Amino acid sequence: MPRILIPTPLRQYAGNLDSVELNGKTVGELLGALTAEYDELRRHLYTGEGKLRSFVNIYVNDEDIRHLDKEATSVAEADTISIVPSIAGGR
Amino acid sequence: MRAHAEQAYPNECCGAMLGRIGSGTKLVQRAVALDNAYAGSQKARYEIRTEDLLEADLLARRDGLDLIGIYHSHPDCDAYFSRTDLQNSCPWYSFVVMSIRSGRFDHATSWLPNPEQTAAEPEQIVYPEEAACPES
Repeated sequence: MPRILIPTPLRQYAGNLDSVELNGKTVGELLGALTAEYDELRRHLYTGEGKLRSFVNIYVNDEDIRHLDKEATSVAEADTISIVPSIAGGR
Repeated sequence: MRAHAEQAYPNECCGAMLGRIGSGTKLVQRAVALDNAYAGSQKARYEIRTEDLLEADLLARRDGLDLIGIYHSHPDCDAYFSRTDLQNSCPWYSFVVMSIRSGRFDHATSWLPNPEQTAAEPEQIVYPEEAACPES
């Protein structure tokens, strides 16, 4: 099954697991399965309107899904999905 | 982290903090310097490439550590958490800000933004020598 890596601060909402294996053929299906299993994760990943938060980036292996088919990106059994936040700032 | 910030002066530096989260504490065990990828003047802005942050997270996992926070510097101003910081940073991590004045480390603060990115609460920083000698 594809494996989703859980960022450290979100593990408290995912049974304290650092990764989760779930069934799904696309990134959208996998994230849906993840938030169905761990409901508290939803508000950290999605807006109230159900869109991925602007600072949330999803990678399939080392590819940003924005450069693929976004949430419709297909996922293979051996793929690893990473949730990577955008970080920027300044004085 | 201090050396990285002084080296980057007068530009802002940025990096990832790897370590462990305990009950009510976060222990930084390793700092990973990351490239400031902001395209404009880096004297007042920083940006971390997501692929660099992903690599830092994978490095942490490989070494049995956790990615627990982000650091950056504020050249020639205080280590506050600015509106720019608040609006452009993912509110999941601790953010250490270092004030660098005339090229030298002055002070640091740590901040934890709320999920709405409307405010950040300060976190106490305990340095290794203080942790080792709590009575001194």
